[in-house]
Amino acid sequence: MKTPWQVMTGGDWLVVLTLLGIALAGIAWLATAPAGTRVVATCGHQTCFVAELDQAHSVDLDGPLGKTHLVIDEKGAYVTSSPCPRKVCLSMGPARYSGDLLACVPNRIMVRIENRSGEDVPYDLLSR
Amino acid sequence: MPWNRPLIIGIIVLLLALGWLRTNSGEVKQVRRSQLMMGTIVEIVASGQDAGQLEAAADEAFAEMARLDKLLSRHYQNSDVTRLSKSLKGGQIAPETAAVIALGLDVARHSNGAFDMTLGRLKALWGIDRENPTVPEQAAIAEAIEGIGFQALSLEGLNLVKQSPQLMVDLGGIAKGYIVDQAIVVLKKHGVTSGAVNAGGDMYLLGRHPEHPWRIGIQHPRKQGGILTTVEVRDKAVVTSGDYERFFEQDGQRYHHIFDPATGSPARGCQSVTVVTDNVALGDALATALFVLGPEKGLELLAQYPGSAGLIVAADGTLHPSQGWTDYQSSP
Amino acid sequence: MTCSAADLANLPRARRQVFLAMFIALAVSLHILESLLPSPVPWLRLGLANVMTLSALYLYDGRAAWTVSLARVGIGALLLGRLFSPGFWLALTGAILATSVMIIVHRTCGRHLSPIGVSATGAAGHALGQILAARLLIIQHEAIWQVAPLFLFFTVFSGVLTGWLAAVLLQRLRQHPAFQVAGETCNEQTGKG
Repeated sequence: MKTPWQVMTGGDWLVVLTLLGIALAGIAWLATAPAGTRVVATCGHQTCFVAELDQAHSVDLDGPLGKTHLVIDEKGAYVTSSPCPRKVCLSMGPARYSGDLLACVPNRIMVRIENRSGEDVPYDLLSR
Repeated sequence: MPWNRPLIIGIIVLLLALGWLRTNSGEVKQVRRSQLMMGTIVEIVASGQDAGQLEAAADEAFAEMARLDKLLSRHYQNSDVTRLSKSLKGGQIAPETAAVIALGLDVARHSNGAFDMTLGRLKALWGIDRENPTVPEQAAIAEAIEGIGFQALSLEGLNLVKQSPQLMVDLGGIAKGYIVDQAIVVLKKHGVTSGAVNAGGDMYLLGRHPEHPWRIGIQHPRKQGGILTTVEVRDKAVVTSGDYERFFEQDGQRYHHIFDPATGSPARGCQSVTVVTDNVALGDALATALFVLGPEKGLELLAQYPGSAGLIVAADGTLHPSQGWTDYQSSP
Repeated sequence: MTCSAADLANLPRARRQVFLAMFIALAVSLHILESLLPSPVPWLRLGLANVMTLSALYLYDGRAAWTVSLARVGIGALLLGRLFSPGFWLALTGAILATSVMIIVHRTCGRHLSPIGVSATGAAGHALGQILAARLLIIQHEAIWQVAPLFLFFTVFSGVLTGWLAAVLLQRLRQHPAFQVAGETCNEQTGKG
């Protein structure tokens, strides 16, 4: 039984090394890319939406009760409509800083602001 | 053998790649997890060297919180609270429930009944958690607050005695705080020295944040997304109660979830109250009591608890900090 | 048994059908076996079933490779209870892209490459297909592309592995008369082809 390197031709090595090179280049590029602030939404236990905080978005997040509507604009990320009874989520102001959380508890929707670099935020946690 | 060297090189490259992917040891890692429980978002933050240890600590903390919630919440059929409410004269309770009730009774006495754990019927009547709550009739309210008060409960060891069968126990103003305290106990047990457990704004800050003391923003009661002020703490509990968290509006009036036991209606003295103290259960109970008492009597109550400080935002928006509050307030 | 000219004409087709059926069965078994093994990331697997797709490609042609790979995805999903689940669509797009890439590479550069090189490109195609499907169906955001380079890095190694296994298998199979390509004659005396 021949070993892999005995089987591999010059062409094979070219292909394999090129693919690995592309992969490593991609990894290096990502590692040096500037970090931004992200909005991460979970519906139940699954991540259902990810976006950059600095891009405008308007999206429906699906939960057992229906659709919770999330808007991201220059004010931050906030909920504009939700099928829950008491609309607590609507009264939670725009989430802007890393660690800020919004949630529609009855509809099992949670929105988190994440920051990949150590940006200076005015507080670590919010007491409300 | 001819294939040894390339194979070894290949394995070394792979191991180096995997090693590069792991963060360097010596760097501080932060684990941040959130879960929906107790009707709110509970967030656990833990920092340390060993990510595995931090994850395990957070897992066990969440599990313990879920277990205690099932014991202390009136939303579960088999909780101690529900059983007691349905019973004629009270009954045996778990040691955790007894601890919560003992602390609650103490605050109730000091606050002359402003903090009350017997409002179960009242809360059920107002039904703030329901789809379309409406303001109940005065007569119904009067009936719901009949016989309430800390005198109606007495604790003998693990046996709770209630004076009347209709009395319904509700630990809503203190249970969340106790549960957060127990979560911190779990984190400490796992050797975590820097972390926080935040249950919808009621939190405990363990140690310091890796780079500075914990900075906690206090929600502005009237400005969405606005901060009233920031406090800097270490190894302290911070609890805020506000009229903006759970409410409904009828005829232009806002009806929120913090009831005045004397009137059976939402307390009107404050917009929000923040308490900084040594454990969250006490903070939770005190914040509720202060909210009901209003700025003047509230600050008097706080003076009886030397280890605690608070900031009361009165109904007219004026700020009333307690004596020790400036120790915590960071410069604006 | 005597053999006639008609038998000779049907024999390669019959053999192909039988062996492809076996390849499919083997591919499905390998797929299921793999799915039982633990893996750090749920969809990061060695793709051993691709050994059979590659073998079909080399022993027969592109159509055979399509048959084996698509049938494997479908039957594998049916047996694992994942038909039309998100994971199924990921597997399907991965398989479609992988098979397309392998066929094209085999046809154009087949002379310069062994099964290992072809398999490596197939693995890259598979990774790309899966991420594309994940981008469309699961995480509707560009952030998913961030896992692409890492994913690609590891699938190249699994591609080399399956390519090598296919090469070994092919070497053995080609020694057997059933897989020898041309020169089938009908032996009048023994009645065997």
